[in-house]
Amino acid sequence: MSTKKNKIKLAEKIMSQVKTGQIEMKPKWYFTVGSVLLLSGVMALSMGAIFLINLTVFALRGRGPMVSWKLQMMLSNFPWWAPLLAITGIVVGVNLLKKYDFSYKKDFKLIVVSFILAVLAAGFMIDKVGFNDHLRKKGRMKPLYQHLEHRDGPVKPPQRRFP
Amino acid sequence: MSDLSKLSDEEVVEITRTKNKEAYSEVVRRYQEKLMRYARYLVKDEARAADVVQDAFIKAFIKLNSFDTKRQFSSWIYRIVHNEAINLINKYKKEQPLLEDFDFESNVNVEEEYTKKEVKKMVKDCLEEIPLLYREPLSLYFLEEKSYVEISDILRIPTGTVGTRINRAKLVMRKKCQLKKIK
Repeated sequence: MSTKKNKIKLAEKIMSQVKTGQIEMKPKWYFTVGSVLLLSGVMALSMGAIFLINLTVFALRGRGPMVSWKLQMMLSNFPWWAPLLAITGIVVGVNLLKKYDFSYKKDFKLIVVSFILAVLAAGFMIDKVGFNDHLRKKGRMKPLYQHLEHRDGPVKPPQRRFP
Repeated sequence: MSDLSKLSDEEVVEITRTKNKEAYSEVVRRYQEKLMRYARYLVKDEARAADVVQDAFIKAFIKLNSFDTKRQFSSWIYRIVHNEAINLINKYKKEQPLLEDFDFESNVNVEEEYTKKEVKKMVKDCLEEIPLLYREPLSLYFLEEKSYVEISDILRIPTGTVGTRINRAKLVMRKKCQLKKIK
């Protein structure tokens, strides 16, 4: 008897909140915006991670003679923020991927490995096609690339020209 | 309102969100008992189970526009109850650990030794003794009579893992039930 009463009470409680407007349905656009933001988040994080990996590859590239000496110099001044941020981006991206239904319907480990490999491959590919060289010479990224190029040693002052 | 009883869950949901929000009472009527039973299996307490179900119905109403009517409403609402119950269990921290790493394949088939009816009785008698990780798929499969695909949607785990977990759960249950009988 008490279970039946409790059942009625529970239903009444819920329906009275619905009828009085104490609880309101969130509109459809709210969830559409959520889905769009989620997708944009995954895409932005992937692209950010790809760019940072590409930047790391650029910073790691040994240039010219005395590579081993340069490597030591380079590691001491290495922009660790780039790979660390790339890793953070990948971790957050993987966590966002978990929100999609395919994450549990397919083998999630395989999805994660594929995602990481795709991001790494894209980062290396972009470097290979000369994207870094283009950014080094032109555009808003030029100062960053120049800073990375000259971080191994003091930047040489421009030579004086005598008339 | 009497016409609503002939409609499918998904159709009632569509009416609730587009025409008449009071049609939600039909959803509550259909699921209240089932969800109470499921919540009780998870939280092992009548009053807390009622809180879980009430919060789940409220959350479901608020998020009703996010439900895709091409999918099963039943799995969707069970998933909400599952989340609410897990939140409550974590809040009180009295529950045994989830033993996530204990999943493994087993060749022993408990159902070969017992009939489905016997297994169902065993589940009812010993469910409280079993860790939450196994209690969830066992109760959904044997007591709520959900399919592997539905359980997969509710717990958000692959169907293969559902099967593994149920097999393992049956072994754990057999051990626990025997211990209970000895005591």
